Amino acid sequence: MAVPVSVPAAPARRVSVRHFVRLKLRVMGNNFRGQGWRIALFVVGSLVALWFAGTGFLLFAAPGLAGDGRYALLVAAFGGGLAVLGWLLLPLVFFGVDETLDPARFALLPLPRRTLVTGLFAAALVSVPAVAVLLALSGLVVTAGALGGWPAAGVAAVGVVGGLLLCIAAARAVTSAFATMLRSRRVRDLAAVLLAAAAALLGPLQLVGVAAVRDADWDRLTGVAEVVGWTPFGAPWTAGIDVAQGRVWAAPVKLLITALAVVALLAWWSRSLESAMVGSASAGRAPARRDATGGAVAQLFPRAVGWARRDRLGALVAREARYWWRDARRRANLITIAVVGIFVPVMVNLGGSGFTVDSEQGLTAAGDTSPVLVSLSMLFVGLLAAVTLANQFGFDGSGYAAHVVAGVPGQLELRARMTAFSIYVLPMLGVVSVVLAVVLGEPGWIGLMAGTLVAAYGAGLAVNCFISVLGAYSLPETSNPFALNSGAGVAKSFLTLLAMLATAVAAAPMVVAAALLGDAWLWLALPVGAAYGLGAALLGAYLAGDVLDRRQPELLATVTPRR
Amino acid sequence: MTAEHPALALRGLAKSFDGKVAVAGVDLDVPAGSFYGLLGPNGAGKTTTLSMAVGLLRPDAGGAWVLGHDVWADPAGAKQLLGVMPDGVRLFDRLSGAELLAYHGLLRGMDPAVVDQRAAELLDVLALGDAGRTLVVDYSAGMKKKIGLACALLHGPRLLVLDEPFEAVDPVSAALIRDILQRYVAGGGTVVFSSHVMEVVERLCSHVAILAGGVIKRVGTLPEVRGERSLEQVFVEVVGGRTATGEELAWLSR
Repeated sequence: MAVPVSVPAAPARRVSVRHFVRLKLRVMGNNFRGQGWRIALFVVGSLVALWFAGTGFLLFAAPGLAGDGRYALLVAAFGGGLAVLGWLLLPLVFFGVDETLDPARFALLPLPRRTLVTGLFAAALVSVPAVAVLLALSGLVVTAGALGGWPAAGVAAVGVVGGLLLCIAAARAVTSAFATMLRSRRVRDLAAVLLAAAAALLGPLQLVGVAAVRDADWDRLTGVAEVVGWTPFGAPWTAGIDVAQGRVWAAPVKLLITALAVVALLAWWSRSLESAMVGSASAGRAPARRDATGGAVAQLFPRAVGWARRDRLGALVAREARYWWRDARRRANLITIAVVGIFVPVMVNLGGSGFTVDSEQGLTAAGDTSPVLVSLSMLFVGLLAAVTLANQFGFDGSGYAAHVVAGVPGQLELRARMTAFSIYVLPMLGVVSVVLAVVLGEPGWIGLMAGTLVAAYGAGLAVNCFISVLGAYSLPETSNPFALNSGAGVAKSFLTLLAMLATAVAAAPMVVAAALLGDAWLWLALPVGAAYGLGAALLGAYLAGDVLDRRQPELLATVTPRR
Repeated sequence: MTAEHPALALRGLAKSFDGKVAVAGVDLDVPAGSFYGLLGPNGAGKTTTLSMAVGLLRPDAGGAWVLGHDVWADPAGAKQLLGVMPDGVRLFDRLSGAELLAYHGLLRGMDPAVVDQRAAELLDVLALGDAGRTLVVDYSAGMKKKIGLACALLHGPRLLVLDEPFEAVDPVSAALIRDILQRYVAGGGTVVFSSHVMEVVERLCSHVAILAGGVIKRVGTLPEVRGERSLEQVFVEVVGGRTATGEELAWLSR
């Protein structure tokens, strides 16, 4: 009566996409169980997303509601293109991807690659941001419908859905590919350069865009929009508009472009997924490290921290400094700061005026930026750098237990973490001020920029001390540095925004001073900013350290990944 | 003065997670100089109990004392005397073995020269010297246990608390770990460790406590708990596991 093992009782049933979607929903649901604050965060996050979606919807529906066909193509091509670009870059730079369903968990299941990819893809569609984007861009359906009746609306609807698929596929493919590269010890530096190059592309793009808007030459802008409409960035969104405006033949071609792009991205994702599934095993052997020289203590301290005393503080700084480089997640954050730190100020300060194409002098930077604008952009860079520490204990994971067991005092701990991070960030901030001063042709402003940067960074450190002690969350133990636990996405975005807001408020005096004090501030900014930043950071460590002392075990529990 | 105190005393330790009781009031006295085995099936609350005993997890009720120092009221005093290897060996695993030891030593406020000397000795004795600058994350399971033990021993604690030190360890490494622990106890130290490997516990321990369902079921010296039978028989009887399977799972045999 016993059935032998070697013969399956029944042929294996096909695993459909439905299973993945249901699995994702179930995992999300189970994550909420008994965690009131998670539900609250999720609800608030959903409401915010809904609000953005509604605003976006009105924006995209505006040309149709106004009955003005002129702007329809512009809104569709540029607005939609921006959405794709956002999905492409934002997960890398800021938000990470929700890895509720970790591909590695499927490694042992007998699933064909195609089933796995489509399943994970479908599961990725079930997320708040995806729904929000779908809602927002549905405005295009209204526009197409108002301008071209039901057929146009129908095509627009298909296009919008296709565009959403494109967005999600792009986000998955790019993060997965970069994760693979960052994991592999050989090409991780190449990955950093690529990321920088991708962000660098934003600069010229914006300059072109701003220059075009300033010229207010609608014909030329429409020309650009038409070109964008034929790339995957604009194709899905403009198909409906084309039908409405009588270019019916363009719609199927554009939908085909979209479909091909989605398939290509999925194929790319599928390839990098394989290495994600087998994990670090494929990353190759570690390069032969130099043989140990000197005693254990000498080995612990990297050269950059050689000045530190061989005591508790020194050891903490040395370990943190090593971790900022050895941990792929942390390194990815450092790269982001470097890239964003250079390009955002350049864009803000040049974008306000743009390059003027002068027939005699060629491309010149127009000099109508101001100390206030520079201060504002520096403030942003400073707080962006500091916000990296918002979940600094989450990076440690369960390793933090060692500090609890050793009873590391909270103030010491926070001061050491700030110091180690600053070893990397302060030189970067220095480079940012010098580069920006050179680009703007205002070398006299270096002091102003550096001062504001340091002040914002120091204030940010103070704020993020508290955020990191009170609002820590665990990071998944996967090899993807961009991965977040389900639910953590909303939490992370919120804490990040909160930290940024608080920092901006704390550092605002620097901007006010720049506005009120005039030329004297150019000289005063650096010493005042440095003192302000240092004072804020020390005060933050002092106050947050006390809090940390009281809730070390609780912090350990929140950063330990649930297994 | 500390000789009057037990090496580790637990009083009414209790903890529940999301309304589910993990540990329901544990009292335990670990005499100084004893080799104490905490036995229990999976999910019995061993890890939770030990975590609360060493200050990693705040108990809902009750307290823990290390040689008379209250772990929760006087953590600095207690943690000085304590060496811990937590479950799953939670370490900063992106350091090499030597770096990790140096880190732990300095965190404990030790003199760098002493750290260097002891680290070199420990790496040598535990046969981890060959690993060179390999990161701990790339170590095998047995090597991770050994480096975890080295970190716990480095500052010369009076009490050693180890969570599953013999889990996933090959026989050679296990013998080495056993050897070091026996030497440590012979030198006046106290070891408390959790395990569900009866053979190891029977061979090593002077005292045993059996934990199941979050409460201590049996406690005492090894001969007291074991009586005339083998420890395994006592354990299975106390825990109340089922032993025979009947018709179910018939498809496993052909």
